[in-house]
Amino acid sequence: MFRLAYPLDNRRFVGLIFLSPALLYIVLLVGFPFLLAIAFGFSDVTVGDTNLNFVGLQNYLAVWENDIFRQVFETTIRFTLVSQVFILIFANILAVIFTQNFTGKWFARFIFILPWATPVSLAMIGWLWMLDTKYSPIDYLLLQTGFLGPNGILSNNRNLFWLATPDLSQISVIFVQVWRMTPLATVILMAGLSSIPTDILDQAEVDGARFMRALLQIKLPLILPIMVIALLFSMITMFGDMTVVYVLTRGGPVDYTRVLGLYSFQVGIEGGNLAQGAAISLFAFPLLLAMAIFMLRTASRAEVQ
Amino acid sequence: MSIVQISGLKKYFDAVRAVDGVDLAIDQGEFLVILGPSGCGKTTLMRMIAGLEKPTAGQIEIGGEDVTELPPRKRGVSMVFQSYALYPHMNVFNNIAFPLRAQRRELKFDKRQIREKVVNTARLLEIDMLLDRRPRQLSGGQRQRVAIARAMVTQPAVLLLDEPLSNLDAKLRANARDELRDFQRSSNITAVFVTHDQIEAMGLGDRIVVMSEGKIQQIGSPQRIYDDPANEFVATFLGSPSMNILSADRFRFGFRPEHFLPKTLHDNPENSRIFHYYVKRVEYLGSDRLVYGYVRGHDKDLTLAKVPSNVRVSLDIEGDYEFAVHYRDIKFFDLESGRRIEQQNLAKVR
Repeated sequence: MFRLAYPLDNRRFVGLIFLSPALLYIVLLVGFPFLLAIAFGFSDVTVGDTNLNFVGLQNYLAVWENDIFRQVFETTIRFTLVSQVFILIFANILAVIFTQNFTGKWFARFIFILPWATPVSLAMIGWLWMLDTKYSPIDYLLLQTGFLGPNGILSNNRNLFWLATPDLSQISVIFVQVWRMTPLATVILMAGLSSIPTDILDQAEVDGARFMRALLQIKLPLILPIMVIALLFSMITMFGDMTVVYVLTRGGPVDYTRVLGLYSFQVGIEGGNLAQGAAISLFAFPLLLAMAIFMLRTASRAEVQ
Repeated sequence: MSIVQISGLKKYFDAVRAVDGVDLAIDQGEFLVILGPSGCGKTTLMRMIAGLEKPTAGQIEIGGEDVTELPPRKRGVSMVFQSYALYPHMNVFNNIAFPLRAQRRELKFDKRQIREKVVNTARLLEIDMLLDRRPRQLSGGQRQRVAIARAMVTQPAVLLLDEPLSNLDAKLRANARDELRDFQRSSNITAVFVTHDQIEAMGLGDRIVVMSEGKIQQIGSPQRIYDDPANEFVATFLGSPSMNILSADRFRFGFRPEHFLPKTLHDNPENSRIFHYYVKRVEYLGSDRLVYGYVRGHDKDLTLAKVPSNVRVSLDIEGDYEFAVHYRDIKFFDLESGRRIEQQNLAKVR
C-alpha cells in the first residue's frame, strides 16, 4: 500500500521537493533563455525568418566591427564604474548615519528605501517629468532663483535640457542610477555594520578611538567582504539594465546614453535582428562572469573569523 | 589611597535598576573582584567605570578627577572583554599598538616609541614571537594574553577585566588565574575583575565586592566574606555546596556543610550545638563524603554535611546520628531583611 509518509521520510526526496521551485525558476527563466541566446548568437535568425542556420562567429565579428557597438560598450562600462563610485560613497555614509541612534530614524529609513522599493519604470516616468526639456520643476526652481533665464548664472536659456545635451544627459542617467541603486547597497552595508560584535566597537572606544578612526580602521575593514558583495550586486544589476535609459532617453541624444542592454533590445527586438541582438547581449557575459568570480573570491579571502 | 571613588552610582534601563546606588572606593594597586550572579549589575557597574555607559545618577572619580561625564579615552582606564574583542583584521602587533595610536593626542608617542612599547609589553606577556600573527591563528590562552597586552600597553590607572577567563578551558583557567595574579602584583596595576565564579573570586581578589540586584551586599577580603557574611544572600552565594539555612521562630540560622560534623569529631562538644540528623543519602566524592539529610524539627529544609573521607565514622543511609556545629560557625539572619544578627541571640535558638 502506498503511503505518503514513506517517501517523505527520504531526505533526498524531500530535499528535491523543497529545491524544485528554485530549480524550475532557474531552468525555465534563466537557463533556457540563456541557452537560446547562445544558439541565436551563432545563427542568422531574424523576426522574419525563424530558421536557425549556423553561421559561426559571423554575428560577433559584425558586432565588434560596428562603431556604435564599441561606443555603447564603452558607455556601459563608464556609466557602471562612475555610478558605483558614488553609490559606494553614499551607501557608506548613509549606512553609518542610519546605524546611529537619532529620533525619527525609522521614518528616515522608510523614506530612504522608497527609490529601491518603487517599480523601476514607474520611478523613471517620475524622473522623466522631473527632467523634462521644457517643464522640468528643477529648471523652474533654478529660473525663480536666478540661476537660469536672461542673465542667469548657469545659462541664458530658460532650460538646461537635462536629457538633451551630451554631457547633461549622461550626468542625468548616472544620477538617476545612483539614486535608484544606493538604497540596496546601503541596506546591505547596514546589515554588515550591525553584524560587527559590540564588544569590538566598545573595545575600540575604550582604546581611545574617535569616530573617524573607529570607522576607517575598525568598521570599514570589517565590513569589506560585505561591501564587495554589495558592489557586485549593484554592478551586475546596472551593467545589464536597460529600463532607465529606455524610459528617459532611448539612448539619445545621438548615442550618448545608449547602453548595452538597450542596444541589444533595439537591434534584436525593435530592429528584428534576433541573432545580432543576442550576440550583443552575450558580449557582456564573460565580463560579468569574470567580475563575479573575482569579487566572490576577494570576498571569501577577506572574510574574517 | 583610593584611585577610584564611586558614590551614589545608579543606572536604570527603563524600569530595570541595573545598578541601584553603589558606593565603592578602589585602592591603588589592589586586585578587586566584583562577584555576583548574572544580572546583578556587575558588568554595568564596570562599563560605567570604563565610560561605556552613562550613569543615571551618581559620580565616578578616577585619580582624584571627576570623570563621570568624560569619554573612555580621557579616563586612563583600559578593559579586557570576555570575548577578548581582538581586532580580527589586524595582526598582534597592530592590535597592541592600537590604543597607543588612537590616543596619540593624549600620549604623544612617536613611531619608534610605539614599537618599543608594544615589543616590551609583548615580551612581558611572552607573546613577542606572535606579533605577526592574526588573532584567528592564536590559541585561547594566547588571545587572552594579547588582550591583556593591549590593555596594559598604555599603562592605565585601572585595568578592567570582564570575565576574561571564562572562555578558557578548565585546565588553562587555573594556570591563567595564577599568571594574571602574578602579573598584576609585579606591575602593581589596579585591577577590577568581574566574575560570577566564586572560586575565581576567592582565588584572585584582595577584596571581593558581592553584588545582587544592583546593590553591593558586602565588601571584604575573601576570608571575611566567607566566614563573616553580612547577610543571607552572601552566606548562601559563596561556598559549594552552599550554607544550610534553617528557620526558627523569629530568625533563620545557617551553618556550612563542612562545619556540620558527627558529634564525636568535635573536640569540645560543650562548645557546640547538637542536632539530631537523619541521613537520607551519602555521596562519596573522593576526599569528602557529601551527606544529605534532615535535622529533627526542620524536616522541610534539606541539610547537607561535608564529612572528610579520612575520618572513620560510618554513616548509614536512613540512620539517625548526633551531629554538631561549633557555636561560632552558626550565623543568624533576620527573617525579613536577611541581614546578619549577632551571636548574642544564640540563646534564643531552640
